[in-house]
Amino acid sequence: MNHLATLVRVELTEAAKEYKYVWLTVFFVLLGLTQPLINLYMDIILQQLGGSIGVILDPNKLDPTPSEIFLSTISGQFDQIGLIILLISFMGLIATDRQNGMQDFILTRPVSIHCYVYAKLIAHWFISMFSIGFGILTSYICTVYLFGSFSITKLILFSVLYSIWILYLTSLVIVISVYVKHQVLIAVSAIGISFFLLLIKNVDLAFSDLLPSSILNVAEHQLVATYDVSYLSIVSCLVLIFFNLLWASKNLKN
Amino acid sequence: MITIHNLHKTIDKQKILDGINLSIEDNECIGLLGPNGAGKTTLIKCLMGILSYESGDITFHSQPIEVYKKQIGYLSQYTDFKPWMTCQESLFFFGKLSGIKKDILKNRISETLKEVGLQDKQDVQVEQLSGGMKQRLGIAQAILHEPRFLILDEPVASLDPIGRNEIRKLIGRLKQRMTILLSTHILHDTQDICDRYVIMKNGRIIKHLFQKDQTINSKQLRIKFRDAVHVDQIREFFPSVIVEKLSAATFLITGTQAFDLKKVLTVCSLKHIDLISIGFHEIGLEDAFLELAADL
Repeated sequence: MNHLATLVRVELTEAAKEYKYVWLTVFFVLLGLTQPLINLYMDIILQQLGGSIGVILDPNKLDPTPSEIFLSTISGQFDQIGLIILLISFMGLIATDRQNGMQDFILTRPVSIHCYVYAKLIAHWFISMFSIGFGILTSYICTVYLFGSFSITKLILFSVLYSIWILYLTSLVIVISVYVKHQVLIAVSAIGISFFLLLIKNVDLAFSDLLPSSILNVAEHQLVATYDVSYLSIVSCLVLIFFNLLWASKNLKN
Repeated sequence: MITIHNLHKTIDKQKILDGINLSIEDNECIGLLGPNGAGKTTLIKCLMGILSYESGDITFHSQPIEVYKKQIGYLSQYTDFKPWMTCQESLFFFGKLSGIKKDILKNRISETLKEVGLQDKQDVQVEQLSGGMKQRLGIAQAILHEPRFLILDEPVASLDPIGRNEIRKLIGRLKQRMTILLSTHILHDTQDICDRYVIMKNGRIIKHLFQKDQTINSKQLRIKFRDAVHVDQIREFFPSVIVEKLSAATFLITGTQAFDLKKVLTVCSLKHIDLISIGFHEIGLEDAFLELAADL
């Protein structure tokens, strides 16, 4: 436990020295602001885009609810541009330690590989959630201010479930880093797999509930209860995180 | 005593270690030599327990590595600490991971920095240190917890001659109280430091050489006369040496003692033997290694 705390503390300090808390937070705050503002000025934007007469929308179309606007921030901004930047920021998570010999220095101490891998997971998940948390909060405040209120309890529930998805992404990068040495390839592979998982999460497959990305359906369900979701995906996601870490620890030694 | 028995390791279907057997006595200093790709670093990583192996055994005083890990210090081939940490912070981090208690760690850091000659650099960030200083800091982290067994992987590879000399002196001091395994491909730097040299090639140990071996401590004289000279006449000059006749008038003389050249010149003058040239060469570890590498 002592070793884990020491390793996590160093990772967190390193992120601070690299101003990761600042630039990643600013980035997610900006993303959080973008979608509510786009929704606010949608009519003007469409008028500008549609030439002299503008684009005409169905006048009977229902206005989106505040929670739907908030969700579009997550699915339209956080899960696309946000996810790319996040995974790029993760690419050196293990590769850097391996290249500069730090991994050897650490693992030749009485520190287990599991401890090393868990420290990476916890620290990078925390850094991500720190930034994403501010992004979510900004988007929530902006949405409530511009479009009306929705339950903060639901928002918290959503955030907790979303953080499990981030935990899965971190574990995915750790597994990829065990096999792939080049940082760019690590980022590209992680982005490719993540987007594929996001793409198929809404496809009606026999094993859909077992997909780690299906936890996002459960998260969204907390805000917009439109269809039935299986809570099995929470368990599935947690189990997959555990297996990712187990797999990474086992193969890091080979 | 460290014992490695029949160690095999394969990476990507390529045999990196092919039946390694090695025993290291307490307080012995061993030079692990071999060309790049010989398997030195892989052997060290298996020894350290950070790389698994297919078959074989590694024991430290008859115990597995996990039990003995606290007694090992290690300097990696690529020494690069967190650049934003100071020397003191770096050692504090490694000290904590080594399980040294906080109250004694501070004193231990001061002692270790003093030992490696970095006492005035304790508050300097690692990124501001020179290559030699970083390497000394690397050794500091390896000896911080007072290990009984120290493994140094290419400790001088990236250093200039001054840096190499500093590290050599430091290792010389450490060998008084620790068992050392020193891996390198710069042979000149291990001469006079190690008690024994283990030469690896293609994942196998091909030879053990001892510091006292004639093969790494010889001197050679190449003498050329104007006219043919009999071998027995040469033996008169040098009674206990190996004399090799290269031609009727050219001889290669190999021995461990210093040659008395004054005597050679006097005798040649007295016996009216015309000397054309004398060439002197000291045979060291590098010559012995190159010969072995070429043979096998």
